[in-house]
Amino acid sequence: MKLLTKTNQIYLGFSLVIYLLTALVFYQIIRLLIYDEVESRLQVERKDFETYVREHNAWTDSPYFVENKIDVIPVSRRGPVREAFTDTLIKNRYDDKLIPFRQLTFYEPIKGVIHRVSIRKSLIQTYRLIEVISVAMVLFLGLLLLGMFWFQRKLSGRLWLPFYDTLSRIKRFDLNNDTSLELSKPAITEFNELNDVLQKMAAKMQQDYRSLKEFTENASHEMQTPLALINAKVEQLIQTEKLTETQTHWIESIYQASRRISRLNQGLLLLAKIENRQFSDSQPIDLASLLAEKLTDMDEVLSFKQLSVNVQTTSPFEVQLPAALADSLVTNLVNNAIKHNQPSGHIELTSTAELLCLSNTGGQLISDPERLFERFKKESTGPDSVGLGLSIIRQICDSYGLSISYRETSGIHQFCISRV
Amino acid sequence: MKVLVVEDEQGLAESITDYMVKDGYICETAATFRDAEEKIHLYTYDCIIVDLTLPDGNGFQIIEMLKRLIATTGVIIISARNALEDKLKGLEIGSDDYLTKPFHLSELNARVKSLLRRRQFGGHTEIRFQEIVVVPLTRKVFVNGQLTTLSRKEYDLLLYFLSNVDVALTKASIAEHLWGDNIDSADSFDMVYSHIKNLRRKLLEKGAADYVQSIYGIGYKFSQP
Repeated sequence: MKLLTKTNQIYLGFSLVIYLLTALVFYQIIRLLIYDEVESRLQVERKDFETYVREHNAWTDSPYFVENKIDVIPVSRRGPVREAFTDTLIKNRYDDKLIPFRQLTFYEPIKGVIHRVSIRKSLIQTYRLIEVISVAMVLFLGLLLLGMFWFQRKLSGRLWLPFYDTLSRIKRFDLNNDTSLELSKPAITEFNELNDVLQKMAAKMQQDYRSLKEFTENASHEMQTPLALINAKVEQLIQTEKLTETQTHWIESIYQASRRISRLNQGLLLLAKIENRQFSDSQPIDLASLLAEKLTDMDEVLSFKQLSVNVQTTSPFEVQLPAALADSLVTNLVNNAIKHNQPSGHIELTSTAELLCLSNTGGQLISDPERLFERFKKESTGPDSVGLGLSIIRQICDSYGLSISYRETSGIHQFCISRV
Repeated sequence: MKVLVVEDEQGLAESITDYMVKDGYICETAATFRDAEEKIHLYTYDCIIVDLTLPDGNGFQIIEMLKRLIATTGVIIISARNALEDKLKGLEIGSDDYLTKPFHLSELNARVKSLLRRRQFGGHTEIRFQEIVVVPLTRKVFVNGQLTTLSRKEYDLLLYFLSNVDVALTKASIAEHLWGDNIDSADSFDMVYSHIKNLRRKLLEKGAADYVQSIYGIGYKFSQP
């Protein structure tokens, strides 16, 4: 939920409660005032009535009191209360409508006989007044509420504008890019501070990232140059005539070891580079056709090892990958399928739009299939295998929204790539 | 042929120079950016081999400077960085080739020769070794004047041998020359063997001497028997 929606919701809810309470209290106050007014008038009329009775010692329906205004009924004895105000409904004489009245009941002796006297006042005008006031109040308060709501929305929108601006800029910020994070300088101190802090953080991150990249490159350089030196010297050494068999054997070992370190170094650097997301030029690539192409490129090795290849690509398997990594991915997959194959074995490539599978025949797996993708997990003990191929495949898949799975059924090893 | 090697690692520069001098080149080295700058301003080279990372500068700048002075000089970059961007940038500013460290001296030598052939004679040159003649432009091989049909890999192999005559070549360097470094070497060594066997047979059939010698534990050597 957006911040502004949330504050608006809270504001609206709170205002409604306050509004209803105010309306209720207001209504009660008006009613109280009006009753007070009516009752004090009824008291005055009671005085008038008593004065009349005292002067004339009798009661006649005087024209002063119109219909329903007064009831004088002789009773045997006084009621429990001396006087009481009650609300009552009385039928109109002309149309059978019930009309609300406020009534004052008291007992008065006329010529020695106790009479119960009820003086009434119509509340119809009063009710209308309350209605009008209520409607006006509802209207005004409603308008006020809407007005406040609108104002609040506009105001918050404007107040939070720098925040949203900052947010969208951070979203667009890319560590890989060399452009630094540029944020505006809003007048509001908090936002200004926020932008300052963010800018500093981004600069620090970029600097760290850059030095990490530099380290990766430098490490590569620092390792590869001595390796190049070893290689060169070994190459010069083997030009020497009359090497003994033992010497040749030693030289061969040194040479193989240095080549292995070099491969290892390159593999680890590639892994680090993928982890650091130093490849940013992703483009749509059809992995199925790339794999088929790679298999064609390797036809010499395939025919040498007498491996038959069956390609069944029903539809392209398109992914977003940097070209260099796509190449690394298919090379490692194909190399793996060739290396762990058996003599006159078989390689099969199948693809649908959702799934790409490369399967090969081969012997039983020695190690745990779960740990196959881990670094330095090797199936063969050959000096040229460094055990990074499958980790590189896994790392590429993990970093670019793909998933790789391995399955083995009756001597067929299958690697499948699907989108996450 | 004059070659300048710009490389800060003394031992490596030395190895390259030794290797090339043996092949009849005049070779000079420069260990720093300033050294290299001075040399390309003073002398003319047919080819320069440049390391990209130098203690006091960048190899790219040397190439740019050189291309402004003499555009015809061949340039081969040797770098520890195996980055696509570097390769593309190198080609963009006029370098001819890019080798990633560690490389085989024999490979570097083959590349320098092929580059010089292209640069100097526009490829219109024949490579002669005794009774063997190779015409790189048409990729044709003649032995004693008879056309010998070689497969693509056999042809590449022969050219590699001819670029490194009298040099012991490792199986790994031959495999990488033929298939690139992605090849799995356990298989490729056998493949190298079968290609060499075929090449040898084809050359012998046309009456050439047996120039390919195998060196136990190391590889092969192309030389006078």
